Amino acid sequence: MALDQQQALLFGVAAAVRLLLFTAFPSLPSLLAGRVEVSTPVTSFKRLQEGLFLYTHNVSPYDGGVFHQAPLLLPLFSLLPNPSYHPFATNVVFTVVDLLSAYALAQVAESGQAAVTRLFTSSRKDLRWSSAAIAAGFLFNPFTVATCVARSTSALTNLCILTAMAKASQGASITFILAISFASYLALHPILLFPPLALLCYDTRTARTKHAPNPWMFAILHTLGLAVASGALLVVSAVLTGSWDFLAATYGVRLLLPDLTPNVGLWWYFFTEMFDSFREFFLGVFWLHVASYMPGLTIRLYRQPLFVATTLTGIFAIFTPYPSIADASLYLSLVPLFRHLFPVMRYTFLASSSILYTSFLGPAFYHLWIYAGSGNANFFYAITLVWSLGLSVIVGDSLYAALRDELDVDRPELRGKEVKRI
Amino acid sequence: MALLCKSRVRGVLRPLLIRAAATLLALRKDARLLKVPPYLSALCIVVGVAWLLVLPLDEYSRRTYVSENALLPGQVHTYFTGSEHNVFRAYRQETAALADKSVEERTQRLSTILGAHNLKVATQRYEYHASGRNISDQNVYAILQGPRADATEAVVLIAAWRNMDGKINYSGVALVLTLARYFKRWSLWSKDIIFLISGDSTSGTQAWVDAYHDSHSPDTIEPLSIKSGALQGAVAVDYPAGPWGHRYDKLHILYDGVNGQLSNLDLFNTAVSIANGQMGIGCTLQRMWNHDDSYHQRLQTMLRGMISQGLGHASGPHSSFIPYHIDAITLQTVGDGWHDEMSLGRTLESLFRSLNNLLEHLHQSFFFYLLLQANRFVSIGTYLPSAMLIAVNFSISAIALWVLSGRPQTPTPNPASTKPPQPDQQAGEKANEKEKEQDKPTFIVAEIAGAKTLIPASSLEITERPLFLPLTFVLATHFLGLLPLYLFNHTPLPYLSYTFTFVALTTTLLPLLTATSLAHFQRPTPQERTLIQCFSLLLLGMFLAALATLNFSLSFLVGLLAAPLSFARASRNKGLSAVVGGLLLLLNPVVVVWAATLYFGQDVVEVLVKAAEGWHVWGLWTQVVVWLVWWPAWFAGSVVVAGGLVS
Amino acid sequence: MLSSLAFLLLHVLLAGAAASSEYDERLLLRPLPQSSLLASFTFRSTEPASTFSQQNLRYFPRSLGQILQHAHTEELHLRFSVGRWDAENWGQRPSYGAREGGTGVELWAWVEAQSEEEAFSRWLTLTNALSGLFCASLNFIDATKTIRPVMSFQPEGDHKNASNLHVLHGTLPHEVVCTENLTPFLKLLPCKGKAGISSLLDGHKLFDAAWQTMSIDVRPVCDAVSSTCSVEMEQTVDMVLDVDRAKRPRDNPIPRPLPIDEIECDTSKPYNAADTCYPLDKTAEPAWNLTEVFGRPLKGDCPLTEQAGDNANTVCLNIPPERTVQVNTSGEYAETQFSSGTLRCYKLPTGADFDLVLPKQQMTTGLVLAKPPLYAARSINGHGQERGSVQAIIKNPSATEPVEFVYLESLPWFMKPYLHTLRARVDTSPESPIRETYYRPAVDRQRGTHLELKMVIPPASTLTLTYDFEKAILRYTEYPPDANRGFDVAPAVVRLLSPNSQDKKGIYLRTTSLLLPLPTPDFSMPYNVIILTSTVMALGFGNIFNLLVRRFVGVDEAQTVGTGGVGGVVRGKLNRLKALLGKG
Repeated sequence: MALDQQQALLFGVAAAVRLLLFTAFPSLPSLLAGRVEVSTPVTSFKRLQEGLFLYTHNVSPYDGGVFHQAPLLLPLFSLLPNPSYHPFATNVVFTVVDLLSAYALAQVAESGQAAVTRLFTSSRKDLRWSSAAIAAGFLFNPFTVATCVARSTSALTNLCILTAMAKASQGASITFILAISFASYLALHPILLFPPLALLCYDTRTARTKHAPNPWMFAILHTLGLAVASGALLVVSAVLTGSWDFLAATYGVRLLLPDLTPNVGLWWYFFTEMFDSFREFFLGVFWLHVASYMPGLTIRLYRQPLFVATTLTGIFAIFTPYPSIADASLYLSLVPLFRHLFPVMRYTFLASSSILYTSFLGPAFYHLWIYAGSGNANFFYAITLVWSLGLSVIVGDSLYAALRDELDVDRPELRGKEVKRI
Repeated sequence: MALLCKSRVRGVLRPLLIRAAATLLALRKDARLLKVPPYLSALCIVVGVAWLLVLPLDEYSRRTYVSENALLPGQVHTYFTGSEHNVFRAYRQETAALADKSVEERTQRLSTILGAHNLKVATQRYEYHASGRNISDQNVYAILQGPRADATEAVVLIAAWRNMDGKINYSGVALVLTLARYFKRWSLWSKDIIFLISGDSTSGTQAWVDAYHDSHSPDTIEPLSIKSGALQGAVAVDYPAGPWGHRYDKLHILYDGVNGQLSNLDLFNTAVSIANGQMGIGCTLQRMWNHDDSYHQRLQTMLRGMISQGLGHASGPHSSFIPYHIDAITLQTVGDGWHDEMSLGRTLESLFRSLNNLLEHLHQSFFFYLLLQANRFVSIGTYLPSAMLIAVNFSISAIALWVLSGRPQTPTPNPASTKPPQPDQQAGEKANEKEKEQDKPTFIVAEIAGAKTLIPASSLEITERPLFLPLTFVLATHFLGLLPLYLFNHTPLPYLSYTFTFVALTTTLLPLLTATSLAHFQRPTPQERTLIQCFSLLLLGMFLAALATLNFSLSFLVGLLAAPLSFARASRNKGLSAVVGGLLLLLNPVVVVWAATLYFGQDVVEVLVKAAEGWHVWGLWTQVVVWLVWWPAWFAGSVVVAGGLVS
Repeated sequence: MLSSLAFLLLHVLLAGAAASSEYDERLLLRPLPQSSLLASFTFRSTEPASTFSQQNLRYFPRSLGQILQHAHTEELHLRFSVGRWDAENWGQRPSYGAREGGTGVELWAWVEAQSEEEAFSRWLTLTNALSGLFCASLNFIDATKTIRPVMSFQPEGDHKNASNLHVLHGTLPHEVVCTENLTPFLKLLPCKGKAGISSLLDGHKLFDAAWQTMSIDVRPVCDAVSSTCSVEMEQTVDMVLDVDRAKRPRDNPIPRPLPIDEIECDTSKPYNAADTCYPLDKTAEPAWNLTEVFGRPLKGDCPLTEQAGDNANTVCLNIPPERTVQVNTSGEYAETQFSSGTLRCYKLPTGADFDLVLPKQQMTTGLVLAKPPLYAARSINGHGQERGSVQAIIKNPSATEPVEFVYLESLPWFMKPYLHTLRARVDTSPESPIRETYYRPAVDRQRGTHLELKMVIPPASTLTLTYDFEKAILRYTEYPPDANRGFDVAPAVVRLLSPNSQDKKGIYLRTTSLLLPLPTPDFSMPYNVIILTSTVMALGFGNIFNLLVRRFVGVDEAQTVGTGGVGGVVRGKLNRLKALLGKG
């Protein structure tokens, strides 16, 4: 897809905005990097710097409680000049990352897989936005901008996820596998996106080529590919750091939640207040809960794999151990792909206004708890509850809309009628 | 229809909230519904105000109590008497002799006196620049290292050299010097005690506490050469009686800090119970000199408290400490009575013995409260709803306007042509609210209305909402507020009055001009005007709701003054628009500020200077709220109304 | 200088004493400015290594000896400290800071073991046993409070097989040292505080001191010439008493204001009157005597000490020669003077009370106190319970000598420093003063941070060391009962490398401890949190899976198909299966 005039302008403006923010407010990046809503223990840029420092001074960054991010980031960022003295290069990198993500998103929109797939064609398929509009929605989303300016590494994860989606929607298997394995290597939970995206990839492949590839072969090959790619990444990291400690320090931390730093998610306060004897049990339950959505959605909505993937990103933004507004921004930028579902959605105003309110009240309550000392932890906790509720309302509502949309296709006579679920 | 709704929802485990919302959304088609919101928001405002008015009643307020058991107020015998009085008189003479000395001499003399008590003495010079003036002076402080202490905790005893009225705080300083000498003899201190004699009441303490936490600007403010542990509390004494003394009547306790943050109620209660119970000194607050516990007096106390909290200015030397989560109060002697300096000294002794008992940082009692009396208060749970109701009223009218903007003025355009030029996420969704209800609500309405055929198809369609102009306009207005903010904070003193007049005139005329130019170039449709108002009200409601948790009073006052905005509508009737516009002009923040200064007999320039000083020295946020929350809302509202005039 | 010379001499005396005698004790008294008085008690007992290993002990306390042997501890250093040494006024620390610890309890030992694990398990044995012996909560020194210093501590003793010796170090900054620690301390002495200088040690006075530290050091000493080894145990108590406060009778300790006629007023003041009095600060040396300041008399000599030679001089006064001293005793005693009279030592009478009386006196010459080689202060910057930064300011007063030192930080795991923000600046020179860095980052709930910096500070300059840190939020069960007070952070230990000390003890100084307030959760509502969070999750889960497992039908058909429930679901599934087959 060639960058046409409009897109070039759009990307230019987006880059300009980011670089302007970086240069005009030099203290802004560190300020945002310190906000718990933006950067979590597993994505914080300051912790990445610490890891880099230890790495460049030949101390194993994983033999400590601070650095929990993927090993390959270390050589990558150690190429750049030290951000605390010459931040410009790093800023440019993160700006570029955002632009690439937007480009991938635009590609997804171009592919039109949102409304029209191999097995399913929405009745409202003409109702869609241009890819430029959707890319703009991502680039100018304040959450995305904040993530970029905070230089949180979840921007990289988002890039990988979006690329995986783009490649899957184009049926480019190899790049898709690489992207998804990178994403899951960086953040573990994107591995759950593999089945729906593989399905999407299969659909597009079959749609393009006359003779459909054998589904079983396809599944096995791609799973193997994923295994190989991820394995390779892990081995390389092991070689790089000289030991397998990083597994415990990165994925172990995501799984076992030793670091209870507050974030917008539901886990931290729950496990702060949890009785010690039940901690392991609930950790298991929570992870099971996160994983449980994938099969259900994939089976029920096997005709709209892209929608399944989108919904899963929404689920990640709510139910993973260390979510941040970066995950939310990813989901909220993917939703406009399904413009054709909006007519059927019911609670958009409620959900979006609740998210608006929480994004103002959250910082206020956090200030009351941590700095003013006049409020306690429950203030911030309550806001995270409302935030998660708002997001889950959007997820559920869009899901309802998608099912309703399918129904309208299956049984046109019910179109626009009041239905009930049994 | 409600029935249907329920039956549809019961299957799913939806919270009531969403169920109600579903009902509302379904109801939106009901023409009658659009008449409700104005009354609803009016009701919100009325209830909000009424709520505040009933607070002083016994049923809604509570007696104060000390909830931190470690404090044990007034449980110790105090020994600050006898020969200490002679020493005090001598030190008062010393301070009196320093009155017309230079700052350096004063600092040097005070340091020698403190040094003679075997304390660690240090000084700090500071300098601030605000509205072209130079605020510069010196702080002297001495640290008494508690024998039991390991430099982890400290409490501060403050006497500013000049109090808030600019009087020299002779007796206060002398009392601190005497107490320093007296406290040194005790071996029971479990915390360090820091004796701070600040150059003046607001900037001096600010410079000191900033430097103590190393958050000062090193080029104009000297860092502290010696420090102690984490500050647990601070008590300032303001007793500007000359070398021959003055017997006072009451203690006036100041407790509110910068940006309306309050110190822990326990500290206040301890002070009151010691002064009242142990020493028999009456306590008063908010300049209510003679407070007969009547409803009227209580209400007045509360309102004064709210105004001073809303302004968020520093009310005494203690104020600068509170933003650092250091609970602090100022004891100020007022009136003519029979209490002498020694009773004040014993009060302080007992107070410090109580603070010395503290095991943890004060956290038990309330941080959000409205005081009606030295021994009566209202806690946040009781009073917060009033401000929240005011904030909610804006949200309600915003939602109403949103629905209204969906109403068709013209035959419906093609739904597929939705392409907001900049679909920011929320915008994107809002843009497509319209089709949301295309299918089932039609039916719902039909079913309650009973006569399906009667419903004109057009009323079921929702027209396209053009979002670009409204969004950009509202955002632009909010950024426009930065201009006067900068202007007032950086204009030197001599030009301030002109600036004020200039800003007043421009802000008064600007809405009309903007409306005309808009009508000229953009010619916004009535629908766009409605959307402008909708967004600005939505933001206003949101800001005020968030603000209410930080500074209740400010949020309440602004909300009250902005309340008419949720009723002002653009109307085709020019006369009506003119009347409404005129009313709005009176509610221009600048005009309101001016009127307030007139009412309270203040000079506008004075106020502006204080505000600028607050901005540069104490980090005051009130003007930010005024210019970035209140003013933009007013501006948007009046532009919309003026639009009715020019169109 | 005189005093420091005397000091040195005293050290030499004691050092000489080590090999020869088996038990000796000494008390050094030195008046300090601001009417305070430094009293350093030293008790030293030695056992031949051979008899020690057979546990046939004479002076060495059996209780401690058995513990040491059981835990294979070759060398032990235990410190109990309260208060701060005011270096600006009091000058050089007693025995160059080698016999003091940070606030609270500090323990380090060389444990003989084959492996790290074995060493650590023996270390745990040691701490647990000692906590029982000294009534201190030493057993709380677990893995998170234990570090293995690299540069900061060197063994004082002569060890034969230094290869498999492991040094472990632990601190309890929050431990409150009090009389219950003094009693077992005295029990270890041969004279048990019944006679000799230890009879002066009274809990009330000791813990009313402005600064006091008790130390126990056990080390093997080998004589180079006759290669006979012995185990030496040195117990010291150093305290700085405020004379005025110490002289107050125990039954009436309240510092009531003096009657006005007892205060000397500055009559030169114009306003001086019957009711106005500017107090003159005291210039004369205050009067004091042993019985007053220590609250009990000195009960003669401890008969186990030698009766002849230098070691017999048990009580020494370090005062200017002009200061008059009267001795009150019924027994016979001997006075000897060292280093031109600035050090007067007394041989105590046996079985008779002994008292030194120093009258109030206007001095013309004062004692010249030795300057400390370094001043160190440490504080936390910033506010809020999220993050902060530590700032250590180290001054080198000497105009000529640069000072090389090791700076040791041992931080709890919930205080997470960012090493990349570590900045060390010297105001006089641009280049970084850091020579070597040893850093072992903390692991959550497993071990604390261990940071050692070797730095050089040029003459007459100030070194500022800062680093940022983040505060972790703990599980609500991990907070102490006074959660809102905060947590104590152990003092930093500074060890001077050059100029280095005469003996193997080394020169040390310690900063004060820090108070670290952490964010606290609400302790009252675990159930509510669990319930609310679970509710939100259930809402998401229920909502989504409800949509997934049910199927839509028109309202009108709902009755015909039958009302939802399991049947409906199953039927739905069947239909969908049909649909699938139909498609495939």
